[in-house]
Amino acid sequence: MRIGVYICQAEAGDPVNHELVASYARNLPEVEVARNLGIRPRLDPHELAKEIRSYHFDRVVVAGDSPGYFKPVFTKAMALAGGNPEEVRLASFREHGAVTANPNVRAESILACATRGVPFPLAAIPDHTPVNPATLVIGAGVAGIQAALEIADAGKKVYLVERQGTIGGHMAMFDKTFPTLDCAACILTPKMVAVGQHESIALMTYCEVQDITGSPGAYKARILKKAKRVDEKACVACHVCAEFCPVRVPSEFDNGIAERRSIYMPFPQAVPNAYLVDEKSCTYVLSDGKKCGACVKKCPKDCIDLDQKDEVVELEVGQIVIATGYDVLDPGRIERYGYGKYPNVLTSLEFERLTNAAGPTGGRIVTKVKKFNKRKKVEEWVFDPEGPQPKSVAIIHCVGSRDRNYNAYCSRVCCMYSLKFAHLVKEKLHGAECYEFYIDLRAFGKGYEEFAERIKAEGTYVVRGRSATVVESGGQLFIKGEDILSDSLVEFPVDMVILAVGLVPSEGVRDLARMLGLSLESDGWFRELNYNGSPTDTERGGVFVAGACQAPKDIPDTVAQASAVAAGVLKSISRGTGLGSLASLSLSEIESRAKNLVASV
Amino acid sequence: MAIRVNPKLIDELQKYGAEDVSMCYHCGNCSAVCPHSQEPFVFPRRSLRSLQMGLESKLRTSIEPWLCYYCGQCSDQCPRDAEPGETMMSLRRWLISQYDFTGLAKHFYRSWKAELAAVVLVFVLAAAGLVLYGSSVGSIHVYDGPGAFLPSAAIHLFDFALAFALIVFLGVNAARMWWLTMVKDQVKRAPPWLYIKRAYLLPVHFFSQMRYAKCGDTGPWLVHLSVVFGYVTMLVLIMVFLEAMQAGPEIRWSVHGFGYAASAALLFATAMMLRARALKSGPQGHHTHTTDWMFLLLLAVLVATGVLQHAVHRLGYQTAANVVYVVHLSTVITWFSRYPFTKWSHIIYRPLAMYFAEIRREVAGAIPMHGVATMAAAQPREKAA
Repeated sequence: MRIGVYICQAEAGDPVNHELVASYARNLPEVEVARNLGIRPRLDPHELAKEIRSYHFDRVVVAGDSPGYFKPVFTKAMALAGGNPEEVRLASFREHGAVTANPNVRAESILACATRGVPFPLAAIPDHTPVNPATLVIGAGVAGIQAALEIADAGKKVYLVERQGTIGGHMAMFDKTFPTLDCAACILTPKMVAVGQHESIALMTYCEVQDITGSPGAYKARILKKAKRVDEKACVACHVCAEFCPVRVPSEFDNGIAERRSIYMPFPQAVPNAYLVDEKSCTYVLSDGKKCGACVKKCPKDCIDLDQKDEVVELEVGQIVIATGYDVLDPGRIERYGYGKYPNVLTSLEFERLTNAAGPTGGRIVTKVKKFNKRKKVEEWVFDPEGPQPKSVAIIHCVGSRDRNYNAYCSRVCCMYSLKFAHLVKEKLHGAECYEFYIDLRAFGKGYEEFAERIKAEGTYVVRGRSATVVESGGQLFIKGEDILSDSLVEFPVDMVILAVGLVPSEGVRDLARMLGLSLESDGWFRELNYNGSPTDTERGGVFVAGACQAPKDIPDTVAQASAVAAGVLKSISRGTGLGSLASLSLSEIESRAKNLVASV
Repeated sequence: MAIRVNPKLIDELQKYGAEDVSMCYHCGNCSAVCPHSQEPFVFPRRSLRSLQMGLESKLRTSIEPWLCYYCGQCSDQCPRDAEPGETMMSLRRWLISQYDFTGLAKHFYRSWKAELAAVVLVFVLAAAGLVLYGSSVGSIHVYDGPGAFLPSAAIHLFDFALAFALIVFLGVNAARMWWLTMVKDQVKRAPPWLYIKRAYLLPVHFFSQMRYAKCGDTGPWLVHLSVVFGYVTMLVLIMVFLEAMQAGPEIRWSVHGFGYAASAALLFATAMMLRARALKSGPQGHHTHTTDWMFLLLLAVLVATGVLQHAVHRLGYQTAANVVYVVHLSTVITWFSRYPFTKWSHIIYRPLAMYFAEIRREVAGAIPMHGVATMAAAQPREKAA
């Protein structure tokens, strides 16, 4: 067989050295010519056909970061040359992970497989290693909870590590889910309780992963157990301690729109259902035990130990599930929307808490009012449960998403939750106007388009066009934009603006990726092994990704991916061995495997 | 009437400096942040749309590019880096080439070689002509008075001839602009009395460039204002008081005072503009077309040689003064010969555009330029039955 190799780059910035790969290809058996054509070459099928004919190529391999981009030209050229168009093979560097640890070696092994006509994932299967049946799940949002429950329900040990004082993650903050408008808590809290009570799940809240060592199947994780200063088994959540705590700080769970005490429970349905002390604000801790200590005196169960120290525990696990989720983009960076400047410009998560029946206003949608804070002796803008309700609300889509100045990607959930907000506004505020400023409405899931149509039919004003600015004039907010469908500028007076902020990877993922030797996408999401074929595996054997840490996702997709991860974990446990890391396979090994695969056919 | 689409228009515009028009996904951000974008002239998004769709005739009759002063807010906030500000700039260049009946502007904009060749050719021819004329009427060693190399009276006459030719060319182009923007494809044409009623806008915009001041940062406007002040003052001095200007060696403050002020303003503004382009500071500095460099460099040479010949003359070096004067006059001729075909011409298109835009706005019955445009709420797309 005579083979021609063409290396074409679709985008600049590929870490693979194409010249080296080309010279490697020239030494491969049966390869006649290997040419590096550079970035986005101008390809003429007739010229190529001439070349294919003159060399009598039986197979053409198109290699590069995204060779599919060039495939049609080569297929045409092959057909023009009278060859078999099916013998145009792709060696896709990016798809098979040649952007990670050792780009050149990976690219060469991908190319070697392609010249043999063997799919890379078929030849490059890492060796199996014995697997410790215990699993570590990092992050206890809905993804972590789902994966942990599925694995634990099969009777296998799970360590579920969570940074916050409660499990539940972002979903616990939500009021309703789209498109079904189910109550989020009604879906999540039973799962949370199940996690808390499960005999196979060791729940470790208020903990952080410090270090991970070991190899696939036998990882060692060092976990920092931050001192909660409350015995969580003895605490009955009677709330007495918090009543007497004099320190008030913004509540993380309520996204800062309400206050909590320094000794607190994130929310009433928290799992574990126990109080904990925030060491960053506690007077006792900050004064080294010289001041306060009111909670200790008042606790009827004597379960508070303000002198408790942090602990480090070591876990031995076979597999690790990363489910670290996301954070929301800080819209204060985008000055034109006035977040942080105008009190009634909210982020989506703030609105989510505002409209939540268990939120600070009991689910009553109100605008902020100026109130005198007697303790701090300053005027503050606060949500008063009895406060005035907005008569018109604007929702701005794509805040920081699909924008080269911030995040180039689409955050995927914003369109749908914005439509959900429009519904909630229309439902809870009688006669209020609601304006949605969108660029493209991405209602891609089951029932989503129908949901979007329903919201429009409810009388929401839908403006196609990103709103440009939010300004205040005489105490009234105005929102200005261009409605590109009616080709006109629009300006509406509104009482509240909700920014549908995009999602960003959660804090600390870079450290975690470094510990595990994993690579992140350029925008910080975890890179999966193969986008289409194995979206839950990673380059590292026995390490899986679930939920939004891989890419922005809605709840159904997150839960589905978490279950898929559990299947992968359980597969290895029940077999007793799991796959090692792909990077541990040498080039010569992949070459010989590809050769053997061809021979066996 | 069927609309003819030119799919190559977007490529054509690249030669005029437009870069990433096809990136635009029409979020409308640019039109909404633009301080000048108001009904019925909403831009720049619509212009980008027309470009993407290749609506050549629509763009040719559009007035919007002239209403943009390139503050760059649109490009700053563009989520797609489509550079709407630079697109409007390129459209202005393209419109200049469309208004130009000789077709020369197209060549100057599309090829820097043509541009450079024209400049060099005119300069050399002018210098040769001046030297030939000078040596036939006087001596290179005499600057003014009898036997002068380039007598003021003759140069004055020549200036009038040059000005006349210029007015003819520019007038024809301006008429074409009027026809394209005010007559062609207009559903409702403006009545003549409206032109008279609003005629005061022409000098107002010409001298104040007040719309530029609306761009937020007033710095670029002040620089532009000083260029125009210096330029117009100098033009008046040359066209009316040339003999007094050239007489010497004593300084006549009644004339030269104005000349110094104008020169200082021109020097300052040219230096500021060159600096912005060289350091790529400010929105306009980021993208510099070859014609922009040519404009500023010629202006700099023009001013520098003008100042130099004046100084050398006052210092008593008559031969040197004559040499510099030849260079200066050749630059003047080069400069003015390019007027109708290049960026120069915006001195007339800009105020005309403001004037025409106001008339079209009134014809359309829209809110006047400085009113607040608050739209009634758009209709909900589908009300529940």
